[in-house]
Amino acid sequence: MLLPNFEYIEPTTLEEALRLLSDMGGNARVIAGGTDLLVRMKLKIEKPSQLISLRKVPGLNQVIKRETHGVSIGPAVTAADLARNEFIRDKFAPLATAAGKLGAPVIRNRATIGGNLVNGRPAADFPPACMVFDAILKLKSATNEREILVGEFFRGPGETIIEPNELLVGIFMETPAPWTGGSYIKLGARKALEISMVNVAVMLTLQEPLGPIVDVKIALGAVAPTPVRAFAAEQYLMGRHPSEKVFSEAGAIGVGMCHPITDHRGTMEYRCLMIETLTSRALNLAYQNALAWKP
Amino acid sequence: MNDFRVLNTRAPRVDAAAKATGQAKYADDFKMPGMLYAAILQSPVAHARILHIDTSKAKKLAGVENVVTSKEAGLIRYGVSPARYDETIFAHDKVRYVGDEIAAVAATSMEIAQEALSLIKVDYEEIPAVFDMFEATKDGAPQIHDEFPGNINAEVHQEFGDTEAALKSCDLVVDHTFLNKRQDAAFIEPHSCVAVFDHAGKLTLYTSTQVPHYVMRTVAMTLQIPVGNVRVIKPYVGGGFGPKCEATPLEMSCGLLSKITGKPVKMTYSREQVFLHSRARHQFYAEMSLGVMNDGTMVALKNKAVLDGGAYTSFGIATVYYSGSLLGGPYKLKAMKYDGHRAYTNKPACGAQRGHGGVAHRACFEQLIDMTAEKIGMDPVEMRLKNIMTAGDMTVNELDMSSLGMKECIEAIREGSDWNNKKGKLPKGKGIGMACGFFVSGAGYPIYRSDTYHSTVVIKMSEDGGVANLLTGSAEIGQGSDTAMAMIAAETLGIPLENVRVYSGDTDYSVDLGAYSSRQTLMTGHATKEAAEDLRDKIAGFLAEEMNVEKSGITFVDGIVKFDDAPGNFEKIRTSYIKEHRGWTDQPSGEFLTFREAARLAFLKGGTLVGTGKYKPHRLGGSYKGAAVGTSPAYGCSAQIVEVSVDLETGQITVDKMTDAHDCGLAINKMSVEGQMQGSLSMGLGECLFEEVKFDSRGRVLNPSLGEYKIPTALDMPNVRSIIVESNEPNGPYGAKEVGEGAIMPTIPAILNAIYDATGVRINELPVTSEKLFMALVEKNRIV
Ligand SMILES: Cc1cc2nc3c(=O)[nH]c(=O)nc-3n(C[C@H](O)[C@H](O)[C@H](O)COP(=O)(O)OP(=O)(O)OC[C@H]3O[C@@H](n4cnc5c(N)ncnc54)[C@H](O)[C@@H]3O)c2cc1C
Repeated sequence: MLLPNFEYIEPTTLEEALRLLSDMGGNARVIAGGTDLLVRMKLKIEKPSQLISLRKVPGLNQVIKRETHGVSIGPAVTAADLARNEFIRDKFAPLATAAGKLGAPVIRNRATIGGNLVNGRPAADFPPACMVFDAILKLKSATNEREILVGEFFRGPGETIIEPNELLVGIFMETPAPWTGGSYIKLGARKALEISMVNVAVMLTLQEPLGPIVDVKIALGAVAPTPVRAFAAEQYLMGRHPSEKVFSEAGAIGVGMCHPITDHRGTMEYRCLMIETLTSRALNLAYQNALAWKP
Repeated sequence: MNDFRVLNTRAPRVDAAAKATGQAKYADDFKMPGMLYAAILQSPVAHARILHIDTSKAKKLAGVENVVTSKEAGLIRYGVSPARYDETIFAHDKVRYVGDEIAAVAATSMEIAQEALSLIKVDYEEIPAVFDMFEATKDGAPQIHDEFPGNINAEVHQEFGDTEAALKSCDLVVDHTFLNKRQDAAFIEPHSCVAVFDHAGKLTLYTSTQVPHYVMRTVAMTLQIPVGNVRVIKPYVGGGFGPKCEATPLEMSCGLLSKITGKPVKMTYSREQVFLHSRARHQFYAEMSLGVMNDGTMVALKNKAVLDGGAYTSFGIATVYYSGSLLGGPYKLKAMKYDGHRAYTNKPACGAQRGHGGVAHRACFEQLIDMTAEKIGMDPVEMRLKNIMTAGDMTVNELDMSSLGMKECIEAIREGSDWNNKKGKLPKGKGIGMACGFFVSGAGYPIYRSDTYHSTVVIKMSEDGGVANLLTGSAEIGQGSDTAMAMIAAETLGIPLENVRVYSGDTDYSVDLGAYSSRQTLMTGHATKEAAEDLRDKIAGFLAEEMNVEKSGITFVDGIVKFDDAPGNFEKIRTSYIKEHRGWTDQPSGEFLTFREAARLAFLKGGTLVGTGKYKPHRLGGSYKGAAVGTSPAYGCSAQIVEVSVDLETGQITVDKMTDAHDCGLAINKMSVEGQMQGSLSMGLGECLFEEVKFDSRGRVLNPSLGEYKIPTALDMPNVRSIIVESNEPNGPYGAKEVGEGAIMPTIPAILNAIYDATGVRINELPVTSEKLFMALVEKNRIV
């Protein structure tokens, strides 16, 4: 399979990148790791005339602990970097786990979080993990700048609200409160190199070690045209004391939010059953991690 | 144990450095001055009449040198077995599957060749297609080949003993059915070929193949070039596993385009084209009944098979025979009946793949044995041991088990896996299972009817006496045959391994039928041994003459020569050797004459020294129809125990541990034997748990990539305990026989038996996805 012809440009400043994007209109594509884009180009699904590389744009590939509370992740940070980042592993465990389960080592060395989000696939690994932290995405064009909640970013399979002249320039997350634990579970056929049949991220905060749940977020992937939050299950859990029983009840409620499809990876029926099982499992796991919380 | 100096060790492969450093050249690495790039136009529809092909626009595109269709290529029919030649290089009247070849283009760049394909206009008249092997043979199904009414490509009916009567006499008869899925061999290197037709009218093909000899014959026949003018060279090959066992449209179109243009022509398949060309594992449906006595004695087996062949025959006739004949052992049976047929469907043709024809039916049979053992309350290991064949036994269908360490294999894995402390004692969700199998060490007969030698080998000494150059047409495809041949030659000549250099995979070197049916270690091995003996004998003859000693007292070992176990009086030979090499820093020394000096002497006396060897099996098999398929000079066998964990809430399966024992006769290279064992397990595990080539409703492959067609990753493979069992095979060189395919036989049923042990659920359709197992668990709990 051959790549179609294209022009390759490596801007060296953010301004230049943004200007190129707006000048070239819809014919240009941003390329980060290229693990999605180049595959689609080889399959002739996309034929951009220019590729604008983020490689030489400074500052986009860093994870920065903010002075206030939280973290700022550059869109060009790779899955490999996120999976081994100590701070992310400690405070944003679902994100680190999702990063470590994406593809295989060679893919993780190239695949970026920005590319994963903008690509907008319903089964992608990063979106649910970002959703449980209510990540804020910063989008920038040559003339404009806006911030958007990750939950409002996805529109449908492969569709997001980003405009052709916009660049995703940063992902911001607040550090969760004390006594928070998180988890991420991915169900696929193999133990690596898998596109999820179902994936679940959970973030759960206890009032105190033996106290009730004061905050919980559950996000699911591959179960609807976009990744979704299981709001009803979250609501059900708020204020309750954790137990296997309430977690499995929450799992059952979670299924209600989902509209999985039948495709060659799995049937709708199986996916629904797995949403229930994996949601309650992820909740249990997050709860164990919350109990083990350390400042 | 034995006094081998080279054999039976753990030898690093002779090609290790070339591969590890990237020096090894594969077909796609070849570039030649003026070389053209070719591409094939493949049908986008599954079944259609070709009304018209217009290549005029493509021909006009700048950079296009030639476009060929059936008009230029002709309509000579070819295939694997002369009994079913049902292909032409290009489709002319009809296309029969998505991917059927229609035309080929040669251009100055790959991009132009691709663009030219899009300019070829084909008018199709689509006709109804049939994709399902059961539907295909029903009345009124679309006809794929006029010559084969009812889409029956081949059928086999065999019976040994009176099966019905034998079953009636049994205490218990248990039935089972099984369905596998079409597999892809997923070799790392897609097919690739460079054809060079020179001014002398000679065609040279550099091609990624397992069978240079058969490719040479088929290409000579279809392109009408005298066979002596076709030379096939196999460079390094990145795996074959069966699908590269036949001439491809790629080789024939490159040859044709080179013949027409007079320029070198190269083509490489994309991964998608590998899936479209296929020739990999068939889909098999198996239906079986096993009759036993209450004490566990097996009596009779009834076996039915339906094979989904795809649109052409490929190896299919042999395949449908193998599904029956390879169940004759390794258990004693009084009667066996087999009825099988292979259906044509509008899908890519299936062919041979590791464990040819035997894997799915073995999987069904070995599950059936476990089911039977459970019903009569017998340990599955005991049940197998009770019925096992031993060396010298003949199967009910007249396959001669000239050596068979089956019992030793079973005992080795029982011990090695701690079976007795695990079977029936594992917690819920954990399971242990076992299975056995055997396979040929080379087919007893060539694919075309002939008295040809199956292998010849030439060993030519360098004039300085330092290097034995081994010339063979055999195919090193990653399995390690070059290393094995070098070891056999070194052992026989009595020289260190590094003094043998192997030149292989070239039809100009020698005749060799190639790397299929696990034949090279035994067959090329025999020819190599004979060639080395011939050479050794010649050197000994010259030495005896020179030193005036008895030839019979001369021995070669570790690169030195002994005369009746003593150094002998070789002063004169050494002196003249040293004189010949004045100023050299590697003069021979020591108390014994070196092999190098001896071989140099022989050269001085007799000129270039050449030893030749040849091999063909003795007459094998019974006299019934189809008796040839399944015959072999020797059979390798293996037994495996698999331990699994099943997540009962999701159906996910983790294979925790595999214990594998294989009888390969003498292990020429222990490291290669273990490599073959572990590779077989991984391929079996993939077929069992993940792999399936999927089609949409119009016959297009849904997952033609290694992203969506799932072979096991390193994380899916458990640790494997590989136990080599060595019997001494009387028909093998130094007692050696196969390991490359026999080792895959038990893997699938051992996993399935372990899953049953863990869950109480029998899955009779592959692959066992988490969904399939989970839904079966739900169903079982509903019934309970
Ligand atoms: C073998 C293989 C396995 C894979 N396994 C997984 C898996 O397990 N899980 C999973 O989720 N994905 C998987 N993927 C998909 C892919 O690797 C990921 O989605 C990856 O994160 C994409 O990142 P990238 O940097 O390579 O994106 P690219 O391919 O460079 O870009 C993807 C898209 O995002 C756009 N884009 C990138 N960065 C920006 C930006 N900053 N602003 C605006 N637009 C931008 C590009 O224009 C393009 O449209 C796999 C891919 C392959 C080839």
